[in-house]
Amino acid sequence: MNAYAKQKSRVPVILSFLIILAVYVAVFIAEQNLPPTSMLFTVLKKGATYALVAVSMNLLNGFTGIFSLGQAGFMLVGAYTYAIFTIPLSQRASVYQYFDGGIVQFTLPVPLAMILAGLVAAFFAFLIGLPVLRLKSDYLAIATLGFAEIIRAIFQWNQLGPLTNGSNMLRLFPNFNDFNIRNADGQVTVYLSTLIPFLISGLCIALIVMLIHSGYGRAFKAIRDDEIAAEAMGINLAHHKRLAFSISSFFAGIGGAMLAMYQTTVQAKSFTSAMTYEILLIVVIGGVGSVTGSVFSSFLFVACSEWWLRFLDEKQIIGDFEVPLLRNGFRLVVFSVIIMIVVLFFRRGIMGTKELPDLFRKRRIKPGKEG
Amino acid sequence: MWNTVFPYLLSGISVGGQYALIAIGYTMVYGILRLINFAHGDVFMVAGILMVYICASGIPLYASIPLVLAATAFIGFLIERVAYKPLRSAPRMSVMISAIGVSYTLQNLVLYVTGGLNQIYPTIPWISDSISILGATTKRVTVITPFLTLILVVALVLLINRTKIGMAMRAVSKDFETSQLMGIKINTVISTTFVIGSFLAGVGSMLYFTNYTTVIQTSGAMPGLKAFVAAVFGGIGSIPGAVIGAFIIGIMENIIKGLDVILFKSGILARPVGLATFSDAFTFALLIIILVVKPTGLFGEKTTDKV
Amino acid sequence: MENVLNIEHLTMQFGGVVAVNDLSMEINRGEIVALIGPNGAGKTTAFNCVTSVYEPTNGQILFCGRQIARSSPSGKMRRIYAGSNANAYTGESVRLSPDQVTRLGIARTFQNIRLFSGMTVFDNVLTAKHLRRKSNFLTAALHLNMAEEKRMREETHELLKQVGLMDVEDEMATSLPYGKQRLLEIARALATEPVLLLLDEPAAGMNPQETEELCSFIRRIRDEFQLTIFLIEHHMNLVMDISDRIYVIDFGKLIAQGVPDEIQNNPDVIEAYLGGGDE
Repeated sequence: MNAYAKQKSRVPVILSFLIILAVYVAVFIAEQNLPPTSMLFTVLKKGATYALVAVSMNLLNGFTGIFSLGQAGFMLVGAYTYAIFTIPLSQRASVYQYFDGGIVQFTLPVPLAMILAGLVAAFFAFLIGLPVLRLKSDYLAIATLGFAEIIRAIFQWNQLGPLTNGSNMLRLFPNFNDFNIRNADGQVTVYLSTLIPFLISGLCIALIVMLIHSGYGRAFKAIRDDEIAAEAMGINLAHHKRLAFSISSFFAGIGGAMLAMYQTTVQAKSFTSAMTYEILLIVVIGGVGSVTGSVFSSFLFVACSEWWLRFLDEKQIIGDFEVPLLRNGFRLVVFSVIIMIVVLFFRRGIMGTKELPDLFRKRRIKPGKEG
Repeated sequence: MWNTVFPYLLSGISVGGQYALIAIGYTMVYGILRLINFAHGDVFMVAGILMVYICASGIPLYASIPLVLAATAFIGFLIERVAYKPLRSAPRMSVMISAIGVSYTLQNLVLYVTGGLNQIYPTIPWISDSISILGATTKRVTVITPFLTLILVVALVLLINRTKIGMAMRAVSKDFETSQLMGIKINTVISTTFVIGSFLAGVGSMLYFTNYTTVIQTSGAMPGLKAFVAAVFGGIGSIPGAVIGAFIIGIMENIIKGLDVILFKSGILARPVGLATFSDAFTFALLIIILVVKPTGLFGEKTTDKV
Repeated sequence: MENVLNIEHLTMQFGGVVAVNDLSMEINRGEIVALIGPNGAGKTTAFNCVTSVYEPTNGQILFCGRQIARSSPSGKMRRIYAGSNANAYTGESVRLSPDQVTRLGIARTFQNIRLFSGMTVFDNVLTAKHLRRKSNFLTAALHLNMAEEKRMREETHELLKQVGLMDVEDEMATSLPYGKQRLLEIARALATEPVLLLLDEPAAGMNPQETEELCSFIRRIRDEFQLTIFLIEHHMNLVMDISDRIYVIDFGKLIAQGVPDEIQNNPDVIEAYLGGGDE
């Protein structure tokens, strides 16, 4: 009986896989056929980046119960690590113009630099975690926020200029457009600049999902639900919290590298606590404790802020009637109000704690359908 | 040496006083609701923007100052009613997220109204005059701030210790549920706390922006965070703690801003090394050290978990 | 007979309050031993010392002959210490964390049920198997430990069958009725493969029928899992029925010990429960 039930429950998972696959195919087809300047691709690229960062934050806040606000700091570390090690040698003199071309005089391949970005971010997290992970809820939040600010200051320090270019911008490193395949004339034959970020982000999120469904993931959830009981069941709190914190930061670092590619430039001053808040709000809108929710709300959030609500920022005239209030900044006001409504009245977010396969499961339980 | 250090010390004391006025709002709200009111720094910023717009509309200064303070207090009251009260029984994290949402909303509203441009803060006569003390030139507000802060704090402490509402506040911060059972009107107490906190942030904003002369939607974030750190440093929930913490942080931060110059002039450093970059970071380093070494701060009370 | 647990001169003092005062007791392998006493007598505090949630102020605890806690009053406590034997356990102190104690083989349940509320019944028990896993982090996270995961799932299934929670294994833990939540707490503790099981008021909130069932259940798991059981309980019928021996404390001090019959007729115990001046 039980074996039968288990087998049946595979169907929603397979369905979910098919949907995800279809999304990837759709992205690929769209990319080959729509003009690359279409707003759709901006949204998809940034959405894929934010999806990874939001899921990594959810791993901490939603699955381990560690309320950390350091995400922007770890993204900064990842973005800088990636940029520093991938700027082509020929461009270093112009990028590091105030620092004699910088001290790093080699470049790493993009995949390696991205993994390094994650590792460096995880290493920072490990060090920061040693003192702060002992703190409780809101104290931990404010301490991680503080650390993000400290990291930001360090990376802007002029004395580190040969490495970080001080407060100046890092640029000219490989970005998403470099993933496109070009022929000898430099013309693009296959567009991959959206598909590749989708693949990177998808792979990382898949790894996080696997982690969540492993014994370690269960231990994280146990800590979230009841620290004292988790410890009484033999789960080493310090070890597991440090693990969750480092892993989350590893993926935030990779997300930072992706953000660098998306923006094509990196500057420490843009990684403010406001960025962390934005990601936190994405997590909350999607549902704290749902990976699917975080991914979904990332795309929704980016699409609204970059595309769908843009019209609110411009004068709109319908017939002879000029719609009042519409001018620069109104989009963000509308947006804030929507967020407050979600936070106050739809506290479980879009998905609650449900995942994609659960959506199909629910339908199956209903009587009268397929027996 | 002294001549180099003194101006920094002076502005440190002044900024410290301004932080203190913001920090009180944080510490009182935390004491009662156990909530880090992330929007408090933005209330402080909104007070600055209100002043800009009210003065620009031609209302004379003697009327606009009380008007701004009253409006700021009302905004504090409104935020609590709209964004925190519905979440009274929700987990603490939800309320904190709501606070972050309010902060985001206030900043975006101001961005919309101002178009994201720096607004010139109106000159308040007399306190903006330049004066010279002990060889340092500064605005009069620098000297006034610490005294005004102390007067307001003493008044607040008297209010808390001597009045009925003050007693209710102390009771609620000790035990939320029990004081509710004892017939204390929780909502009145919480509203009063927000009104007082916002009022003081309004006063702080007048002093602060007279010094810094411009306001923009992000102006409140940093002073807000620093004032919060001051509150934690002094032991969150304790008003004297918040004030002392704020002065320490204000002074240290300004000394670090000038550390390059001070060390350079006194011959310890051969050339400036850009230590001023760390004036903000230092505050947070201090926060983390205090949290790790003595999480209850200088004057905080110890709490224990029950198994 | 072999001792599983030895508590020697245990004193736990919070500030000026002495919650447990010079408590000494021993539990033999295979026994069911009860610790009883009026409310606030310090029973749960003693439990918390054994499971390392608290660090004792003074005294030593041995588990299967191995020191799991040893300390003597130090610092400020040295001045305000109100217990006895202050100098008996000086020297190197021993302090483990609660998870280490569990790994050694002591599992517990909680007086105020502490289940993992966001998980199903099955996952609650499965999570408690985490500490006995052999795979490292990477193999586990990448799901390369299929055999181990499968074995843990089968064992969990088996365990739920043994305690009679199999029919509700896919339900959320917190949706269970109170009595079954208590059973689940015991099942979860059993999943850590303990030698010694500490039950903190297992019958609290149960109706008489459930309490009776619990009686035979505790005996049954003692036999099936070769356990030694140490429990705190207020239901005297249950205590007198299943305990091999009973310790009674009042105001933190041991006032009586012995087999159920002796305890039932002990005048000190009657006085502690009914108050003085009755005679």
